[in-house]
Amino acid sequence: MRSVSQRLLISVTVLMLLFFGMMAAVLDARFRKVAEKSLRELLDAQMVALIASAEPDDSGRILPGLADREARLATPGSGLYAAVSDGASEPYWRSPSAAGRLQQFGPAQPPGERDFRYITDLRGARLAAVSRGLQWEADGGGSRNLTFTVATDLAPFDTQVSDFRRGLVKGFTALAVALLLALALLLRWALTPLRRLASQIHAVERGDRDSLDSSWPTELDGVVANLNTLLTAERTRIARYRDTLGNLAHSLKTPLAVLRATFTHGRPGAEQVNVEVDRMTAIVEHQLRRAATSGGASVGRQSVEVLPIAQELRGAMLKAHGNKDFSLELAVPADVLFVGDRDDLMEALGNLMDNAAKWCSGRVRVSSLLQAGVGAGQKLRIAVEDDGPGIASADRERVLQRGARADEATPGHGLGLTMVRDMAELYGGQLEITESALGGARLELRLPGRMR
Amino acid sequence: MRVLVVEDEQAIREALRRDLTEAGFNVDLAADGEEGLFAGQEYPIDVAVIDLGLPKLPGLDLIRRLRAKDKRFPILILTARDRWQDKVEGLDAGADDYVAKPFQFEEVLARLQALLRRSGGWATSSLACGPIVLDTRAQTVSVDGQPVELTTFEYRILEHLMLKAGEVISKTDLTEQLYEQDYDRDSNVIEVFIGRLRRKLDPDDRIKPIETLRGRGYRFVLPRNAG
Repeated sequence: MRSVSQRLLISVTVLMLLFFGMMAAVLDARFRKVAEKSLRELLDAQMVALIASAEPDDSGRILPGLADREARLATPGSGLYAAVSDGASEPYWRSPSAAGRLQQFGPAQPPGERDFRYITDLRGARLAAVSRGLQWEADGGGSRNLTFTVATDLAPFDTQVSDFRRGLVKGFTALAVALLLALALLLRWALTPLRRLASQIHAVERGDRDSLDSSWPTELDGVVANLNTLLTAERTRIARYRDTLGNLAHSLKTPLAVLRATFTHGRPGAEQVNVEVDRMTAIVEHQLRRAATSGGASVGRQSVEVLPIAQELRGAMLKAHGNKDFSLELAVPADVLFVGDRDDLMEALGNLMDNAAKWCSGRVRVSSLLQAGVGAGQKLRIAVEDDGPGIASADRERVLQRGARADEATPGHGLGLTMVRDMAELYGGQLEITESALGGARLELRLPGRMR
Repeated sequence: MRVLVVEDEQAIREALRRDLTEAGFNVDLAADGEEGLFAGQEYPIDVAVIDLGLPKLPGLDLIRRLRAKDKRFPILILTARDRWQDKVEGLDAGADDYVAKPFQFEEVLARLQALLRRSGGWATSSLACGPIVLDTRAQTVSVDGQPVELTTFEYRILEHLMLKAGEVISKTDLTEQLYEQDYDRDSNVIEVFIGRLRRKLDPDDRIKPIETLRGRGYRFVLPRNAG
């Protein structure tokens, strides 16, 4: 999709070209008409002067005396020409200026007729010519039909018209460019709130901010308010959902605990009851944990620092596995962030660290880094390593088996790892099992992440 | 040993009373958080088992209130909410260990005994002696501000020595901090841990924080920093 400003700029440009084009055409036609009219008036004036100056000579031929006074008619090639004809194919009198330039001055006109036309001189220049037919009453009676013609070179006129056109194009182009620039600036300004909204939404997606600002132009106010409501609603929904699941776990497990407390060792049937209680506990835990994983689906992910979570879990692990001598080393940079739900990360990392603490013989190491140039869902790497027996390559696929029935899973390893893997995959990431340099297993989580 | 059990589910409470009495404990029972708070404050309790999902006063608040009243006996949490967030919150509030419901009584007993053995119980959040600082919540140690990586056992020995800075601590006392059963542990083990601690805390042999008193035990010689 083209951007809004692109659309506006393109449509306005097209409209403007059409508008300015038509405007130029109209102005041009108008100017030509005016110029032509003044040209004709000029020719008419010359014509009047020409006729007025005509006198019969000794042989009775009518000759205009104007050529003697009007320098332009006397100068050859001056651009102003005149002729008088009496109906023969060539005029019997031509102004001296026409010498070598103009032979034919157009057809003879009957008395009282006028004619305006464009003709071409011997050199190919275009001329405008006005002819007038009249009946010349001779002094001695009798009359003759004469045609007076005045022609003028069109070159100055054409130059004038093309000068005008050039000026018109220049002016309009400048105007169009200025208008488009102004429009682009205006759009930039007018669309600033939209751009700000887009960048804030992006920030919410990345987890940089919780909600959108509250003050917006009227047109956007409604949309933004709705988006904010949606964000809060989604977050409270997840929180409420988790709470419900927690209560459910509590109410399912309390009767199980009662069962177990009642059937202590040595009671008849205790062994069988306890096996069933174990199975049910595992199923409840597995299903509820899966359900509580929010994953990547939620609107408005937040981002959380990895280090504090790892530190809190470290403290818990050391207390919970206090009957064992081991060290738990954290190599997690403080500026590494996980983009997603805090609880999800705590659950996944808690399971991995708990496993490692369970299986290690003396060392557990948690390290983290951000890898550049991989998909958004896999940027954050968190590895949990131990120096325990490790997981044989043949078993690696099995412990991660999706949907492996909870009661079949290897105690300690399988169950938690399936959940961790499911969580990672919900975020578009993955869980990878390899060997650690420490000697045991290395479990690496790949999740969405970024630098602070 | 006097143990306080705060649990709202009667069947579990009764079963714990029965089993703990059988194991030789003197048991006080409380059915909700308020009763628990009262008992915890009024009786000389040695250790407490507290359920997190309690009526009237939630388990987490109960633990916080007890710790705020400077009650330092070890606390074991029972919880059906077994997300890590819940466990971490519980430990952060001042509990020392947790057991997930439904539990085996043997596990509760083992953890209770381990907590009782590790005396000292709930300490202030940080212990500082000279350049050595111990953060008891995060269980981290630093010397001159530089973090030092200790194992759980090294940490526990150091914490015990620092809590009783200036006193002479016997090897037997230290052994009891580490092991749940009264196995006849080889006393060399403690010597090994002390040696490791000295190397990690004082690689240049400059501070000399731990003194060996032949035949009597060890003493942490740096005094506790004021404040």
